[in-house]
Amino acid sequence: MSALGVVFGFELRRTVTKPSFWIRTLAVPALIAAVIVLSYFSSKVSSDTTEQLKTSKFSVQVLDESRLVNPAVLAAVGARRAASKPAGVAAVQHGEVDAFIYYPQDLAGQPAEVYAADAGLVDNAKYQAMASSLVQASLSAKLGSPAEVKLLQAGVSTKLTTYKDGAETKGFGRVVAPGLFLVLFYAVIVLLGNQMLTSTTEEKENRVVEMILTSVSATHLIWGKIWALIVLGVIQVLAILVPVLVAYFGFRSQLKLPAFDLTQVSLAPGPILAGLALFVGGFMVFTAMLVAIGSAVPTAKEAGGYFGAAIIAMFIPFYALGAVATSPHQLIVQVLSFFPLSAPITLMLRNAVGNVSAAELLAGIAIIFVTGFVLMGVAVRTFRYGSLEYARKLGLKEIFTRRV
Amino acid sequence: MPHSPIIEIRDYQMKFGPTTVIADLSFEVHEGETFAFLGSNGSGKTTTIRTLLGIYEPTAGELLVRGRRYSPKMSAMLGYLPEERGLYKKESVLDTMLYFGRLKRMTRPAAERWSRDYLERVGLADKTNVALDKLSGGQQQKIQLGVTIMNDPQLMILDEPTKGFDPVNRRLLMEILEEHQARGATVVLVTHQMEEVERLCDRVILLKDGRRRLYGTVEEIRASHGVPVIDVEFNGSFPKTSRHFEVKQLGKRSAELTLAQGAAPQLVLEELVGYAKLSLTSFQLRQSSLDDIFVALYDEPGRRAQEVAA
Repeated sequence: MSALGVVFGFELRRTVTKPSFWIRTLAVPALIAAVIVLSYFSSKVSSDTTEQLKTSKFSVQVLDESRLVNPAVLAAVGARRAASKPAGVAAVQHGEVDAFIYYPQDLAGQPAEVYAADAGLVDNAKYQAMASSLVQASLSAKLGSPAEVKLLQAGVSTKLTTYKDGAETKGFGRVVAPGLFLVLFYAVIVLLGNQMLTSTTEEKENRVVEMILTSVSATHLIWGKIWALIVLGVIQVLAILVPVLVAYFGFRSQLKLPAFDLTQVSLAPGPILAGLALFVGGFMVFTAMLVAIGSAVPTAKEAGGYFGAAIIAMFIPFYALGAVATSPHQLIVQVLSFFPLSAPITLMLRNAVGNVSAAELLAGIAIIFVTGFVLMGVAVRTFRYGSLEYARKLGLKEIFTRRV
Repeated sequence: MPHSPIIEIRDYQMKFGPTTVIADLSFEVHEGETFAFLGSNGSGKTTTIRTLLGIYEPTAGELLVRGRRYSPKMSAMLGYLPEERGLYKKESVLDTMLYFGRLKRMTRPAAERWSRDYLERVGLADKTNVALDKLSGGQQQKIQLGVTIMNDPQLMILDEPTKGFDPVNRRLLMEILEEHQARGATVVLVTHQMEEVERLCDRVILLKDGRRRLYGTVEEIRASHGVPVIDVEFNGSFPKTSRHFEVKQLGKRSAELTLAQGAAPQLVLEELVGYAKLSLTSFQLRQSSLDDIFVALYDEPGRRAQEVAA
């Protein structure tokens, strides 16, 4: 096996055999699943409670000055008519009745007033639920159709079909495939960024680099580490995606997950290939930058300080999301599109929303790859020399002028 | 072939920016010999070794191993123990040894067999799967040594090998060195321990300020740069001045006498015997040691300054 293969195998094996890797990897989907389950149960309990409250029985008096509430509906719930507002309130105060509901004349402009015996913070909601449902039931009866009431309450849903050059376009569906690369890029950076940064500081902190460099070239060592990081990234993404896909396709109805029409997803090769190129180039730029930082500073702790700046430089386009999505010709968007560190995410965003030309994409991808190769050379050079500087940070001037 | 060179360094220069670290250095290390690389801290020893092993690029000159510039592809023949050394602390003993063994082009089974045999030898067979940071400092040194000599290298370069080693591991290192010498390995020792050099090494080079100052066999250097030294033990006190010798008091009753130019030991003995305030109990003539030569060489500017002032 080549030295590169030995490094790759060592780096991969020693990471995947550590429980901390799996804890880190599975913590994200586990937390997301926990949040989904919690919010599902919370919403279900809340909805059940609301239903129970709506149907709970209590004595009630009503005074309807709006004349919107149907007497038949009032009779159905056993509500009695109050003589006046003060009488209704007094009846509640003296415990003669559980609740008194007062509907003012202008119900659209003024709230219904509810006076009731205190049943606790949660249970008190049943009085307000009763006040609302009496009006809704009355209006339903007036309209004569539950569908009309539903339309009135929820509004009308719409479905948009658009055409480009005479052919139907996929609308939001075209964003999905190229947008996936952006999500993947974000996930990989969040999950692996720190590991990229510390992959070379470890050798330096443990004083192992000099022995290593007599057995494997700096280039092979770094590429072995990077390949291992790529495979670790794939493992992490699969560890997150597989449970999600199994849950969606295997247990969608049981889990009451929303249905997505996958036929609406556009698989046009152009944006997908551009997304892939931007993902690979961006990954290269980011990895090379972090490896170079890790090689230039003496400890992982010190490298951490630079990590934040590197992240901001890469993810700054998200702060200009509105402009990137809607005004691609603005100067700031153009700068972000071609500045090597911000170009990957800016162009991935623009590629997803479809506001980037082929010429811009080609120029941007070329800039990213050239930067990636240059930075990779700098990273190797910094590693060869900087990794022997155990106690101090390496300056840029030294990286480029000192012979190694 | 006792004189075929395994290492050849010719007209080697190294500059870091405007600073010249090594100037026109040339020497050879012969196949099968034990060679000492001497010099004070900052004299350029480690830089030379790093350049020889391809970690640094020389400013000028040729540094060859077996007639070629060293590349990691030649790692199977090399056992290198750098001055700055360590291991992957969070990995197990066996995994670490296997990794270095594989990088030295050993097959996995061969590396595993070698590692287990070595761990058995140094009494760490029960630590095979223990993480290195769970071992004591002395145990970690044993692993470090094992990683260095994996694959029975033909060329061993040991930079300050006993630095930080406890006495047990120092003895283990010496045993291992002698074994490898016996099987014909070439050993380059970068060290300050002159007793080790005199005991183990065939030839020596000494650097000062990046320049070669001494080069040859231990005997040649002692013959050419050594001076007669007299070790004396005594009661009483020495005369305040003498034209035959200089006194370096070592203890209350012992001293080292360096002979003045042209002075014979017999004259010294006669002078001391005739001095009433001194009674000699021992008088031994010897040639100065490598340690004396090393110290004298590094003390030259100070001595010259004193001479000028006088």
